Amino acid sequence: MKDRYDHENIYWIPILIIFVFLLPLILKGISFSYKYYLFVLNLAGIYIILNVGLDLLSGFTGLVSLGHAAFLAVGAYTSAIMVDQLGVPFSLSLILSPVIVGLFGFIIGFPALRISGMYLGLTTMGFGFIVKRIIISFRDWTQGSAGLEVSSPVLFGYTIKSDLDNYYLIYTFVIVAIIIGRRIATSKIGRSFMAIRDSEQAAEASGINLSQYKMLAFFISGLFAGFAGVLFAHTSSFISTDHFDILLSIYFIIMVLVGGASSIYGAVLGSLFIVLLDNLFVPLIEDQIQLLFNTQAGDIQSLIFGLIMFLFIIFQPMGLYGMWLKMRIYWKLFPFNPRQRFT
Amino acid sequence: MTDILSGFGQEIISGIALGSIYALIALGFTMIFKATEVVNFAQGDLMMVGAYVNFFFVSTFLSNSGEPSAWTFMVALLCSIIFSVLFGLFLDFIINRPLKDAPIFSVIMATLSLAIIMRALVAMIAGPISLMPISPFGDNSITIGIIVISVLDLSIIASAIILVIIFYFIFHYTKWGIAMQATSEDPVAAQLMGIPIKKIYALVWIFSALVATLSGVLLAPRIALLDTSMGFLGLKAFPAAVLGGFGSIPGAIVGGVILGVIETISLGTLSFHFEWIKEINDIIAWFVLIAVLMVKPNGLFGIEKVKKV
Repeated sequence: MKDRYDHENIYWIPILIIFVFLLPLILKGISFSYKYYLFVLNLAGIYIILNVGLDLLSGFTGLVSLGHAAFLAVGAYTSAIMVDQLGVPFSLSLILSPVIVGLFGFIIGFPALRISGMYLGLTTMGFGFIVKRIIISFRDWTQGSAGLEVSSPVLFGYTIKSDLDNYYLIYTFVIVAIIIGRRIATSKIGRSFMAIRDSEQAAEASGINLSQYKMLAFFISGLFAGFAGVLFAHTSSFISTDHFDILLSIYFIIMVLVGGASSIYGAVLGSLFIVLLDNLFVPLIEDQIQLLFNTQAGDIQSLIFGLIMFLFIIFQPMGLYGMWLKMRIYWKLFPFNPRQRFT
Repeated sequence: MTDILSGFGQEIISGIALGSIYALIALGFTMIFKATEVVNFAQGDLMMVGAYVNFFFVSTFLSNSGEPSAWTFMVALLCSIIFSVLFGLFLDFIINRPLKDAPIFSVIMATLSLAIIMRALVAMIAGPISLMPISPFGDNSITIGIIVISVLDLSIIASAIILVIIFYFIFHYTKWGIAMQATSEDPVAAQLMGIPIKKIYALVWIFSALVATLSGVLLAPRIALLDTSMGFLGLKAFPAAVLGGFGSIPGAIVGGVILGVIETISLGTLSFHFEWIKEINDIIAWFVLIAVLMVKPNGLFGIEKVKKV
């Protein structure tokens, strides 16, 4: 049986890939501060990779994770320690670190077999706090809360240093991550994930091995987060535990929800939307708000993120991708749009 | 020997005081959880808002009258209570009513976003500098035998006990309390019996905002410096509630007290004797949470739920 995704339009994917690869040149042509835009896009790319994994875990399988920053932290620190202190080449660390984070996902996933729903969210949140503290405690390796400087990635003898090089490195992996994420989501594994989310009992009765698939979801999510962590550590060249906060985990969930849970494109859209908003729009209004209130930038950021998530949950629970789907259906059926279907 | 004993005794008393705060926060979201199955992530931040509002009233009254007296604190407390009732009603309007038919997950995420919004707003309005709340009891202490207890801790414990008794009576012996119990048991059947469940839900939110405010007012003098990170303290009430059994009111209280005692003891006596405990004593609550979930997910007083398709 052919599944429905075989009928999907795929001709625009090569165009999109070409666009992604030409984007830095376009930006360079039209803007002086293109380096800053590249930096923002790089951050968005790393979050896209992580959020594709988070979406597979939380959106598809329904296992809420409020501690995904911990996954990112483990990936980043593992790779930083391996490359800089153990002398492992970057290309090997790029493969090894995600696997280690995946195995770490196993450990977190273990309680997930017995608990579900909000308990799991709480447990992952607790793991987030614990991991942060453990990283600080291993001072010999991680230099505690002072942070760790990380070398630039070296691939095939070429040192990747500038923002432009980082952009191409990151977005190669972004495209690979999206393709793999789509393949997982539309395969037997993805369908099993969705079955587990919709009803654990029904899924089990249909012959889905619950514990196996839940562990698999954590492992896959850990792999994606591991990749994101490795790229994050080596492209930002400095990591510290302050960055991997509980708030970051919440922002990841916000990104997935705003994009539209349980669709890979939703995770991509959500990450891009939130990161661009955070870095391009918030600085614009920050000065205005700081004239009125004596406050820090982080507060304005979390106020805006919180408001966006709140409004999306109430008015557009399907997220940005859901909006796009509705628009598409609206135009397809154009003269005959029963209005009720779109509200 | 007496040193260790008296230190231990003091830690247990101050642990019970801290634990009663956890218990009150846990009580707040246990009520919401029982009625609507929503886990309210904003409970800790509600507490923080309550503490700030009370601080605001106290300092306004003090700047007007000058001399702190018992009446100042009483009137400020009354104003904070009125504020929290209105705020609870407001929360019911913006969270519970629009998301009546939404999946539980969305409602929980809405409370999470509300927590972020509240924290940011309070930080913006109050400014980045920590405040120093004034305790109505000063920093006196009394000595019983070999144990020195601060009046503040005693007052926290006493207020918590009084509050729990009041809530117990409201729940079990008033018309609205019984209606609340019926609603949490089975909303549809309750509605069929003529219980206005919309009003009950509003009442539940009001109650939990009220409890949060009271716990904030009690906790603020104890932590000495008031800033928005107080909301994170509220998160620790989750392990407390899970330890006691999520959704069980006696469980929330017992779990809170146990967790408070564990925390203060590990901060005090244990960290003098074991070096490694120093590293983890601010996250010990989360270790407790994970241990409880691994060993006994239903907690001490929880009732095992039968899964249905």
